[in-house]
Amino acid sequence: MVGTKKVNSNKITLPEVENLGRGHLACAGCGAAIAMRLTLKALGERVIMVFPASCWSIIPGFWPYSSFRINAIHAGFVTGGATASGVRAALDVKGDDDTLVAVWGGDGGTFDIGLQALSGAAERNEDFLYICNDNEGYMNTGTQRSSATPLMAWTTTTPVSQPKENPKKDMMGIMADHQIPYAATATIAYPEDLIQKMEKAKRIRGTRFIHLLSPCPPGWRIPSEISVKISRLAVRSRVFPLYEIENGRRYTLQEERRIVPVKEYLKLQGRFSHLSESQIEEIQKRVDEAWERLKRRARC
Amino acid sequence: MKKVITGNQAVAYGVILSRVEVVSAYPITPQTTIVEELSELIANGRLHTRFLKVESEHSAMAALIGASTGGVRCFTATSSHGLAYMHEMLHWASGARLPIVMVNVNRAIGPPWNIWSDQSDSLSQRDTGWIQLYCENNQEVLDTILQAYRIAETVRLPVMVILDAFVLSHTSEPVEIPSMEEVEAFLPPYCPPYPLEPQEPKSYSVITTPEYFFEFRYKIQKAMEEVPEVCQKVEDEFYSRFKRRYGAVEKYGDEQAEVLLLTSGTVTSTSRIVIKKWREEGVNIAGLKIKRFRPFPAKEIGEAIKGTKKLAVIDRNLSAGVGGIFAQELKAALYSQEERPAIFGFVSGLGGRDITPELLEEAIQYTLGHSQPKEEILWLGLKR
Amino acid sequence: MSKQFTFKGASEMPEIPISLGFMDWNKTGAWRAQRPYYLDKTPPCSAYCPVGNDIVSFIQKILEEDMDGAWRVLREENPFPGVCGRVCFHPCESRCNRSFLDEPIAIHALERFVADFSEDQGQKVKREVEEGKERVAIIGSGPAGLSCAYHLARLHYPVTVFESFSLPGGMLRMGIPSYRLPREVLEREIALIESMGVNIRTGITLGQNLTWQDLKDYSAIFIATGAHLGRPLGIPGEKRRGVFQGLEFLKKVNSGKKIELGEKVGIIGGGNTAIDVARSVIRLGKKAILLYRRSKEEMPAFEEEVSEALEEGVKIRYLVNPIRIHSKDGLKRLECLRMKLGEKDETGRRKPIPIPNSNFFIEVDSLIIAAGEEIEFSYFPKGMERKGGILLTQRDGSAGVKGVFAGGDLTSTQRTVAHAIGSGKKAALAMDCYFKEKDSEEVFRRTLIGEGPPISIFRYLHPDERRMDPHLVRFEELNLDYFEPAPRQKESKLPPKVRIKDFKEITSTLPSSLAIEEAGRCFSCGTCNGCETCYVFCPDASILKREGIFLREIDYDFCKGCGICFTECPRGAITLKEEAR
Repeated sequence: MVGTKKVNSNKITLPEVENLGRGHLACAGCGAAIAMRLTLKALGERVIMVFPASCWSIIPGFWPYSSFRINAIHAGFVTGGATASGVRAALDVKGDDDTLVAVWGGDGGTFDIGLQALSGAAERNEDFLYICNDNEGYMNTGTQRSSATPLMAWTTTTPVSQPKENPKKDMMGIMADHQIPYAATATIAYPEDLIQKMEKAKRIRGTRFIHLLSPCPPGWRIPSEISVKISRLAVRSRVFPLYEIENGRRYTLQEERRIVPVKEYLKLQGRFSHLSESQIEEIQKRVDEAWERLKRRARC
Repeated sequence: MKKVITGNQAVAYGVILSRVEVVSAYPITPQTTIVEELSELIANGRLHTRFLKVESEHSAMAALIGASTGGVRCFTATSSHGLAYMHEMLHWASGARLPIVMVNVNRAIGPPWNIWSDQSDSLSQRDTGWIQLYCENNQEVLDTILQAYRIAETVRLPVMVILDAFVLSHTSEPVEIPSMEEVEAFLPPYCPPYPLEPQEPKSYSVITTPEYFFEFRYKIQKAMEEVPEVCQKVEDEFYSRFKRRYGAVEKYGDEQAEVLLLTSGTVTSTSRIVIKKWREEGVNIAGLKIKRFRPFPAKEIGEAIKGTKKLAVIDRNLSAGVGGIFAQELKAALYSQEERPAIFGFVSGLGGRDITPELLEEAIQYTLGHSQPKEEILWLGLKR
Repeated sequence: MSKQFTFKGASEMPEIPISLGFMDWNKTGAWRAQRPYYLDKTPPCSAYCPVGNDIVSFIQKILEEDMDGAWRVLREENPFPGVCGRVCFHPCESRCNRSFLDEPIAIHALERFVADFSEDQGQKVKREVEEGKERVAIIGSGPAGLSCAYHLARLHYPVTVFESFSLPGGMLRMGIPSYRLPREVLEREIALIESMGVNIRTGITLGQNLTWQDLKDYSAIFIATGAHLGRPLGIPGEKRRGVFQGLEFLKKVNSGKKIELGEKVGIIGGGNTAIDVARSVIRLGKKAILLYRRSKEEMPAFEEEVSEALEEGVKIRYLVNPIRIHSKDGLKRLECLRMKLGEKDETGRRKPIPIPNSNFFIEVDSLIIAAGEEIEFSYFPKGMERKGGILLTQRDGSAGVKGVFAGGDLTSTQRTVAHAIGSGKKAALAMDCYFKEKDSEEVFRRTLIGEGPPISIFRYLHPDERRMDPHLVRFEELNLDYFEPAPRQKESKLPPKVRIKDFKEITSTLPSSLAIEEAGRCFSCGTCNGCETCYVFCPDASILKREGIFLREIDYDFCKGCGICFTECPRGAITLKEEAR
C-alpha cells in the first residue's frame, strides 16, 4: 500500500517510464493527468491510443509538439469506439497482435455523444481497451453538464438555482449489458489497483472498459491539492465504489473498510456547496441503495 | 473476363481487385448490394480483408480514418443520408490527408424519403476536400475505382466515386473485369507516408493554432491543384494497360458546336443519343460529359467550349437559393476566361424523375431558341 | 529535450499535423503560485528524548531490515541502547503521534531489539582515541560519565574514567536490579566503550586516593559522581540497627553480597528506588510492604514498575508517613500518621498534610528508607557551588572552575538514565568547543532537536545531513488515509510467580518479525522515508527519485505547485509555501 514502506509487503513497483512526459498543459492538480501517467506506466510501449475530443485534445500540447511518448491519434468527438475499431482492423490485417489499441475518452465522449460508437463497438466485441476518463462534466469547454454529472451538482448549464435533476448514468451497467469480457471502475487514489486493472485488461481480448474517476479542480471547485484526497473519499463514501464485472455477469466488489458518510465527500467540493441537509440525506439514501444493488449483483 | 454485372457489383469487383484491406460500411438503399457483394467475395476467401459492420455511417468513416492512419488501404460506400451523416468525418479524412476511396450512390436526401437518383447528396459535400469523380456506366465505375486508389495515394486526398441510384447501381451491363495480376501491376500496395511505429511514437492530428493552420489548408489546395496532372498520368497508364480512358471531361459531337450540352452521370448516355440524333438532323451541337467535379476541370472545360456560344447544363441536383450546382461552378470557372458563353442552367430529374430524351430535346430547343436564359433556373420537366 | 521548431513557411512543414517533438521545452514551473519543498521536520519522539536519539531513522532502518544500520543510528547519539531499551522511562512514547490513532509505538522495545539483535558488536567498534590530543578526566562511571567518555572518544580525545567502586557502571550497576537490567547487557555496552580506547580505572575516589592536584595534567575534567547518598528521613530511631538506606541495600544486592533481613520488610518511599528495593526484597524471599505518604497518583515511580511490584506481591500503603521508629528485640514498630492531600506544591503534586491524632503503628522486622538521593559534595573545590541539592552548572555544563564540567544526577533534579546520558553527550560537545575555542552556545543552537533541550551530536559531526526544521510535527499534519489501526506489539513477560524466584530478566526481546511489524506502525513523522507517495501522485512527473541522503527531488522547472504531494505525504515531510515572484 502506497504510503507505508514495508519491504516485505506486496507493493507494486511502478515502471519508471514516463510516457506522458512533462511540460504538458494540464491544470495544476489535474486528476486526469495523474490517471494518464499511471495508465501509461501500466500499458507499456506498444500501445496506440485514440483520443476523441476532450481535455486531452489540448493537454499534450499544440502542433508541432506532443508530450506523449506513445502513438496517439486524435479523433472526432463522436468517434472513439469507431476510430479504434478501424485502427484495430488495420493492425489485424497487418498481422500485428502485439500492439494494444486503446481509447481514452472523456465522459462526454463516452456517456453522451460517443455512446453510439462505443455501444456499436462493444456489441461487436471489438478488441480494444476503452478507458473513460470521467471528470463528470464537459470540462474542456468550461464545465457544462453531461450525463455523467452527479445528481444536484452545479455546472454552468445546471446553475445553483436549478442544479442537475437527473442522476448519473450507470455507464458500467450499460457496458455490462453488452456482455463484454471485462469492465472495471478505478480511480487515482488507488494507484496500485488502477495499474493492476489496466494490466489485467491489457491481457484480455475483446472489448474492455475501464471507468476512471478523475477529479477536476476547476470543474468541481476544489483546491488543486486535494484532487487525490477527493478521489479517495469518492470511494470511501461509496459514491464511486471500486468493482469489476466479467462477461457482464460476474461482479467482484472491492469493499473499502473505512467508510465515510457522503457528506464528507460533498462538503469539500464547491460544486455541491449549495446543497441543503435534506438534499444531502437524499444523496446518502441513493448512494446506500445503489450500494445494496451492487452487493446483490455481486452475490448472484 | 467479361461479365454482365450491376453497378454495385462492379464496385465490389473494383474493391476486391484493389486489394482493399479494411472495409467498413453501414447499409442504406441503394448501396446495400455493394456491401452484400463484398461480404460474399471476402467470405469466399478472395481477399484477406477485415469488414467492420459498424453501427452508423459516421462510425464507418471514423473507422476508416483509424484504419487508414494505421496504414492500410480501405473502402466504404454510402448514399444520401448516410453521406450527410458522415459529413463531419469527410472533413476529417481530407484534413488528415488520408487516401480513402468511397463510393457514393447518388440518392435524394429527405424529407420526404426518396430513394431514387439525385446528385444533391454528393454535391452538397463539395467543400469537404474530397476529389469527386462521376461515372456514366458500370465499366467506368470499376475502372474509376482502380484509378481512384492511384490518384488518392499519390496526392493524399480522399476520393469519392459516384454512380446513380438504381440506374447504374442496380442495372446490369457488360463489364470487362481485369485480372488480379493485371491490376497488381497497375496498382502497387499502399505505402503510407506517416506509418504508425511503436519505436518512433507520434501524435496524429495534433491541435494547431492560427500560427500554422492556414498553411495546412494551403497544402490541401496545392494537392488539389496537382490532381489534373496526376489524373492525366494515371489515365495514360491505365489506357496503356487496359485500353480504356475517360478524361476529366469528354466532348462528343461537332467540333465547333453552337450549343454544348453538359451532363454528368448516366444522363450522359441519354445525351449521347439525343446529340447524335440532332446532328443527323443538321444541328451544330455537341455534348460535354463532366467526369471530374472536384477539382472542377475549369481548364479542360475552357478548352472544350472554345467557339461555343451557348452551354446548356443539366443539373440533377439543387442548391436551394442558387439553383443547379454544376451550373454555378461552371459560371464561377468561366468568369475569368476570355470566352464566356451564355449558360442555360437546367434543373431536372430530382428524386429519380426520369430525364428522358424528350426532356433533353426540350432543353436543347430552348437553348437554341434563346440568346440568354430568361431565368436563372430553368426547370426541366417540372409539373407546375 | 527537444528544440523548438520554427517554420519559415508551408514549404518547411510536413503535410499533416503530426507531432515532431516533445513538450520538454515548456517549463510549466512558471505557472506556480505555491511551491512545495522537502523539509524534514522534528518528530515529537526525538524532541522529547533526553538522549537526543534519532528515533524515526532507526525505526526506518528496522523496516528496511537493516538492523546493523539501526544500531549505528542509535550509537550516533547513545552508547547504551541495550540499557535504555530496558530502563528508560520512554518520554518518547508519551509523545508519540501514533497514540492519537491507536497506541504509541513501543520505541523502547525496538531500541532493545536493535541492541540485542546485532551480534559481534565488538567487531564493529574500533579504537578511536588519538594520543596527542587533549586528555580528559572523567569522575564517575555512571551513565553520564560513560556517555561523556564515549562521545569524547568518538571525537578522538584520550579519556580516563575514575570510578570509586570496584566495577564501572554507577547507578546502572548499583541502583538498578538485574531483573530490569541484566549485568551482561551492561557489561557488553561498557566493554564497547573501553574498546574505543577509553581507560576506566576503578577503586579510585576523588577526595581520597585521587586529588585535584593529580588531575592537573588533564586539559579538562568532567564530574559525574551522581547522587548516590540516601536522604535520611530525619526521624527518631533512624540510626538503629536493621534500618537501611535504600541505595546501600541495592548496592549490596546488586554486588551479590549477603544481607541480613527479617521476614517482614518495610520500605519507605515512592520513587523507583523504593520500588526496586521492594521487588528485590520479594526476590530475597521476604515480605515487602511499601509506605508512601501521598496517594498512588502522586507516586514518582514508573507506573509499569508499580504494577509489576503489586503483581509480585509487594503491598503498598498510601497516605502513610512514619514519624518515629521504635525498636525492641529487633522488631521495629513504626509510629505513623495518616496523611491527606492538600494543595499542589511546586512539583505539581498535591502536598501531604498530616492528620492530627491519627497515630497508628506498623510492625516490621527490617526497615529500608528510600526517600530520595543526595549528592556527595565534600570534594568540591572553591568555585563549585551547590544549591537546592544539586551542583550548579552553566548551560554548557561548566561548573564554575576553568576546564571543569559536570553533569548527570549531580547537576540536575531530573534524575533519569536518559537525562544523564544526554548531559554527558552535551558536556563532550562543550569540551570539544572549549578545546577548539568555538562558541558552544552557537553549536548547541545548531544541534538542538526541535526547540531543545536535547541535542544531536550527529548533526554537529555531519552538518549537511539530517537537516531538520525545528517545527514539531502534530498529529493533524499527518495524512491518516495511509494508516490503519494495528495493535501494538508487547514484549513477553514472565508470570509473577516465576519472576520472583530470582533476579533474572523478566521480559524478553521482541523477535525480528514482530519488531518489523511494530516498526511498520511508525508514522515517520515529518521525515521522508522514501515511501514514494509523492512520486506516484505528481501529475507532472516532477518528483525525481534520487539515491543517497535526499531521496526525492522536486524538479522546479516543471512543478506547477498543485500541492498534491504536500496533501498526500503521509508524514507531513513536505512544506508548501507561496511562490515568491
